[in-house]
Amino acid sequence: MKKTILAAALLASAFTAGAAGAADWKPAKPVEFVVTSGAGGGTDNFARTIQAIVTKHKLVAQPIVVVNKGGGNGAEGYVYSASAAGDPYKLTFGTNNQYLLPYVAKLGYKASDFAPVATMALDEFLIWVNGESPLKDTKAYVEAAKKPDGLRMGGSQSKDTDQTLVSLISQATGAKFTYIPFKSGGEAAVQLAGAHIDSNVNNPNENIGQWKAGMVRPLCVFSPARMEAGPKVAQGMGWSDIPTCKETGIAIDSYRMPRTVWLPAGAPPDAVAFYADLLKKVSATPEWKEYIERTSQSDAFMAGEDMIKFVKQDETRAVEVFKAEKWIVQ
Amino acid sequence: MDNVANLMHGFSIALTAYHVGLMMAGVMLGILVGVLPGLGAPNGVSLLLPLTFTMDPVSAIILLTSMYWGALFGGSTTSILFNIPGEPSSVATTFDGYPMAKNGRAAHALTLAFLSAATGALFGVLVITLLSGWVAKFALKFSSPEFFAVYLLTFASFIGMGHSSPFKTVVSMMLGFAFAAIGMDTISGSLRLTFDMIELVKGISFLVAVIGLFGLGELLLTMEEGLRFDGIRARISPREVFQTVRELPRYWLTLLRSGLIGCWMGITPGGPTAASFMSYGIAKRFARRKDGYGKGEPAGVVAPETADHAAGTSAILPMLALGIPGSATAAVMMGGLMIWGMTPGPMLFIERPDFVWGLIASMYLGNVVAVVLVLATVPLFAAILRIPFSIIGPVIVVVCFIGAYTVDGSVFDMGLVLAFGLAGYVFKKLDYPIAPLVLAMVLGDKAEDAFRQSMIMSKGTLGIFWSNPLVGTIMTLALLLLLWPLASALVQRLGGAGSASSSVQAG
Amino acid sequence: MPMFPGRLPAGFVITRFAMEVATALVTAGIGAVVALGSLEYGTGWDDAGPQAGYFPFYIGLFIVLASLGTLTQAVLHQRGRQRGSREVFLNAEQAGRVLAFGLPMVAFVVATVLLGLYVATALYLFGVMVVQGKYRAWQAAAVGGGTAVFFFVLFEIWFQVPILKGPLEAWLGLH
Repeated sequence: MKKTILAAALLASAFTAGAAGAADWKPAKPVEFVVTSGAGGGTDNFARTIQAIVTKHKLVAQPIVVVNKGGGNGAEGYVYSASAAGDPYKLTFGTNNQYLLPYVAKLGYKASDFAPVATMALDEFLIWVNGESPLKDTKAYVEAAKKPDGLRMGGSQSKDTDQTLVSLISQATGAKFTYIPFKSGGEAAVQLAGAHIDSNVNNPNENIGQWKAGMVRPLCVFSPARMEAGPKVAQGMGWSDIPTCKETGIAIDSYRMPRTVWLPAGAPPDAVAFYADLLKKVSATPEWKEYIERTSQSDAFMAGEDMIKFVKQDETRAVEVFKAEKWIVQ
Repeated sequence: MDNVANLMHGFSIALTAYHVGLMMAGVMLGILVGVLPGLGAPNGVSLLLPLTFTMDPVSAIILLTSMYWGALFGGSTTSILFNIPGEPSSVATTFDGYPMAKNGRAAHALTLAFLSAATGALFGVLVITLLSGWVAKFALKFSSPEFFAVYLLTFASFIGMGHSSPFKTVVSMMLGFAFAAIGMDTISGSLRLTFDMIELVKGISFLVAVIGLFGLGELLLTMEEGLRFDGIRARISPREVFQTVRELPRYWLTLLRSGLIGCWMGITPGGPTAASFMSYGIAKRFARRKDGYGKGEPAGVVAPETADHAAGTSAILPMLALGIPGSATAAVMMGGLMIWGMTPGPMLFIERPDFVWGLIASMYLGNVVAVVLVLATVPLFAAILRIPFSIIGPVIVVVCFIGAYTVDGSVFDMGLVLAFGLAGYVFKKLDYPIAPLVLAMVLGDKAEDAFRQSMIMSKGTLGIFWSNPLVGTIMTLALLLLLWPLASALVQRLGGAGSASSSVQAG
Repeated sequence: MPMFPGRLPAGFVITRFAMEVATALVTAGIGAVVALGSLEYGTGWDDAGPQAGYFPFYIGLFIVLASLGTLTQAVLHQRGRQRGSREVFLNAEQAGRVLAFGLPMVAFVVATVLLGLYVATALYLFGVMVVQGKYRAWQAAAVGGGTAVFFFVLFEIWFQVPILKGPLEAWLGLH
């Protein structure tokens, strides 16, 4: 039931997006960017970058107001937007937590309360160890994690993307981890630099500062192919020198976090099309490329059908983990 | 010395007419957002951030940090004049600052607060300048057990200092912990104590509680007494400022101790809030005359203000060197750094020395500019107090509610403020101490997270809190402080002193 | 100011004892709710340390126990007093003053929800100034309207912090 409504909404919006490229809908008052993270978080940077680009290139005539609602791992923002069903002025920014959060906690909104607008980028996950760690490659790492004590793995939040990935790694390799949840990836980065934990699975942007100083070191990346070549970061290594985890023997093809944009369900299809078109324009600007490069994410604009397909795949895999770990509520 | 040479280079960057102009603009804006409870430094920084995209990074960070100094000073102003702390870290300033203002010494309290704040800030920058290399390494030593020990130390230094019934202190503190527990639990990832109300998903904001408990509660009390703010007359003359400057050295011990506490908490980073509470607690505990505290003791203003600003200032260092933002404002600033193309982290000092040292130099200058400007605004605030109460009273009410609304844009929070206002009024009249509630609300969930993270690390054994000299020392110190009142009472009793005077308050 | 005292009987008094008891009962109630509410998260201690409900449960329990302690203290204190003497929490005059301030405040919050913060601000300031401050209507209107406009410019235009708005703003086309 839930799924069909979602699919219907998606289909409708995708259809109109395709049919009427230049939709008639235009914002008539300031647009609210609802950010489902606190100021300074990854989603906040994502939304503010888009705000800066839209403002600079004057892509929208109306002002943009950014509101941070990051309480309850972002649930606060989703609940806020979901309660304004049909409002085309609440463009909501998030990650895959939009459709995964409702599985692990009772939150007062459903994934189907939103119409997908676009996915803009995919953030990578890597396995990091302390710079002084004797674990030089993935093989040694997995061996160490199979010992009775396992490894201490830090991450951002509980039952969220980081812990899901840790759980997937355990399933794929038989390694044992003690997962320690921190408030943010930044905290997990500092704890790793101080060698208080053995490892983390941070996004590139969360660990780059420490990597530059040689305090942490990447072992492998969970992307289907190696990351784009760029300048060397540290120890003569650049992002493209990091092997994929699959290459090094961890049977996980890819694990990446989408940066997503949504509207409350029931918003006019023309409005969905308008924003999808707007975000498409944003993703073509040099400033956007610069953001992608700086944060070492993968540029991946998806709207309509593509996004629905991606969401479905991502959701299915995560829910399997949730079931195995007994995280699902109700 | 390398650092001094670097600093001189920094001054040559920061000390230009353009940069001083930016500092003044930033500070003025900061004072404005600091004074209004609905707005805070994070709002100001987010407002200015888009402006900075076209600026040189040094100029940009000077503008933003100056605004931050201004906001910190502005926050103290409302704490003293209206008993409404604008930031969590200025709560402790209300304890003696507001009574001073009520006794007709508002100008004195404000001047004292600003001057000790500036002293604290300079203390903080000095520490940054001299110890920048070492400080970052020290901060890396801190993990969850150490954080828990620091929070426990804060509680320990603050507890057991009230005159009220121990039961009431326990009720107040535990209520604070309970409120802090509402919402998302970091460790388990589930929602706690929300009773399926979506308004509670985000938890109860500390600011909402404080605006109600302190701001509205105090207004209700004032009304009941029919006082109408008659007591508050803040007139400021250059002579008064001068007198206060001369008075300041008298508090050298408090200043030094609070500065040290502040720097330590800023670096570790326990944060300015913990620093100001701990500093107030320690000042009171070691004071010769404890009775004046809470009734307008000047040292009770000096201690928290010095520590607050020392911590706020020295916290910039771990932010730059490690990339851990100590506060919401710092988080927005870090976002700015990244947009300007810099990566906070250990390499920043090596890759961009001009930026780092320009910033450090601007912290010296910015604080001087801020203290001068903020002193200049005192007559303005003093004038506000001369507006008849039937106008200013309702305006304060409006400001309180707008403030509560802007915290999260929630109507529910306005109802909460009303409830907290009533609670603040009743608690005050029945001698329930409010400070333990506030402290527990600010540090409660952090302390719980740190404790449970430690337990996951140690697989459930408490030994982890004595697993290395650092955490062991802090932990032992905390327990000693916690047991101090008990022990001293015991000694008194054994010594045959009149048992009636033994006061084991709120253990 | 003299809005309410006349309506309260002159002998009206809330005793401190009554208030102590009421407050202790309320806090005990909150404690009980907290303790019961945390039962569903597990209140034990497993190999990963305390479960999610561990701290809230004992916090709730402590609130209940300490509230009972306060209650006992209040009762003992009351017993120790001479019969007939009462410690007053609030007398008629004070209650009148508190209500005169508190009731318009509650009305303001209600008006906020219905009319938005700006309109409610203007009305509230106007009402309090005219009724309690005995100002002339035009003065009160100027202060009330001026304050509302000032806040509007400050929040909506300058800082772009959206605040609760109502039907008037919608009608005027202000967003």
